[in-house]
Amino acid sequence: MDLAPLYDLLARLLPFEVLQARFMQQALLGLLLVAPMAAAMGVQVINFRMVFFADAIGHSAFAGVALGLIFAVSPSWTMPLFGLAVGLAIMLLQRRSSLSTDTVIGVVFAAVMAFGLAMVSRDRGVARDLQRFLYGDILTITEPELLGLGLLFLAVMAFQAWGYNRLLYVGLNPVVASVHRVPVATCQYLFAGLLALVVMFSVWAVGVLLVTALLIVPAAAARNFARSAGSMFWWSLLISTTSAVAGLLVSAQDWARTATGPTVVLCGFVWFLASQVVATLRRRGAR
Amino acid sequence: MPPSASNPDAPRNAFPDVAAAFDNVAVAFEGVAILDAVTASVPRGGCTAVVGPNGAGKTTLLMALLGQVPFQGNVRIAPLPDGRPPRIGYVPQRLQFDRGLPLTAGDFLVMGTQRSPLWWGTRAHHRDAARELLRAVKAEPLERRRLGALSGGELQRVLLALALQRNPDLLVLDEPAAGVDVQGGYLFCELLERLRRERGFTELMVSHDLGTVAHHATHVILLNRRAVAEGSPGAVLTPPNLMAVFGAHMGLLDAHGLAHSRLPCCQPKEGAP
Repeated sequence: MDLAPLYDLLARLLPFEVLQARFMQQALLGLLLVAPMAAAMGVQVINFRMVFFADAIGHSAFAGVALGLIFAVSPSWTMPLFGLAVGLAIMLLQRRSSLSTDTVIGVVFAAVMAFGLAMVSRDRGVARDLQRFLYGDILTITEPELLGLGLLFLAVMAFQAWGYNRLLYVGLNPVVASVHRVPVATCQYLFAGLLALVVMFSVWAVGVLLVTALLIVPAAAARNFARSAGSMFWWSLLISTTSAVAGLLVSAQDWARTATGPTVVLCGFVWFLASQVVATLRRRGAR
Repeated sequence: MPPSASNPDAPRNAFPDVAAAFDNVAVAFEGVAILDAVTASVPRGGCTAVVGPNGAGKTTLLMALLGQVPFQGNVRIAPLPDGRPPRIGYVPQRLQFDRGLPLTAGDFLVMGTQRSPLWWGTRAHHRDAARELLRAVKAEPLERRRLGALSGGELQRVLLALALQRNPDLLVLDEPAAGVDVQGGYLFCELLERLRRERGFTELMVSHDLGTVAHHATHVILLNRRAVAEGSPGAVLTPPNLMAVFGAHMGLLDAHGLAHSRLPCCQPKEGAP
């Protein structure tokens, strides 16, 4: 598939000097796919209180990369697949075990992290991947990866259309949802699986340290701006997409020259501060 | 002396038919018995109350009925006279949610009926249906209020509306009077009574409030890990039974008086559907 017309379109819509390079156009396209996905899933991450879950998946990325090295398979495959397996495993344990959710996640978190670090200590060659894992590397995204992202984007948006009301139901009270014939288990597993994949691609964009920020900062700000459950979704998408574009542009400026991931997250944080001001003013107004 | 089982001399309840029955139901969590060989029934069309002290397994009994905990024994939910399985509505004791969630009571109800996602907009006929339901539970002014801004009693009524949305044949409520003041609890029970008459559902509720039970219920299951007694409120809420289950301090409460002070509006209906 030839993505060149799409890049040209992006360059024309955002006629900034820094966006004339092809790798910048690819990075922009990648961010325009990752950011809305993360923001949409983030709405439910907040409702389900699953921030720690997302964090654990993010940290499993490194073990995924290490697995790829062991079996001589491209990390572009092993990383998302391993994340998916970890996500579904946590959900299974959480539903079956009597341990509390954070304990289950904490145990899995420790295991995957230890495995990843053990592999690094064995093979110094992985050090470059460690950097990429910590800070993200959206600027080197390749075309096949972009196509994979595009497919995931379609899947996530289809899931959001099918599941938004159902997930809200389950998030408010899973027993009520189940008695009222909402397919709770299906919702939870689909959500965990898709969230794991989204988190893995987000690790690419902003690195493991900031992956939860990409998920929850737009949703948290959206919660402050929105006045209904429906508009919360759109606010979250708007905030994440604008933060992603602004972050990419700023990071490429001569005066900034910062890493893209952290810059994107900082732009999101500015939105969040603004939303807090709005929320405070509204509360005063309501009094 | 073991607490007396349901008294054979007591007048049997007037309901010929059961909506649900527990047969030797046992539930254990990690080796600790929560429920032990519970056998009891829920008469169709009535209001059955499960009463008992803290830790008696009241909520667990509901969860077994709703298929939410693994159990041994049998739980039978009887099909309706026309043979279809009954629809169940459930009103939980509380919702655990983020109070800042921008979800209005109206949207909360639309969430339950509308197939297209709320971010694609809410359809007028779903909004109208939601308003109708809120009116039915006397919560119409709450339509545009955030769920997080509602009081305990208001939230209870909105949750009731969500359960009614499915047009339930069996309505299950966990501690409907918890977190509500006495007056609010009484009004809520009156509302339930009226809805039950209008809509003809069977009601099953858990309650720790014996006053409410005595006024409202038509059938009582006294539970303390086992079903200690079962029958009409007058037959079950006797001083010896209550002493045996709740302990000596219950002697201070004139339970007998309570059991006979049913208000006219709460009498078991006769000839109604």
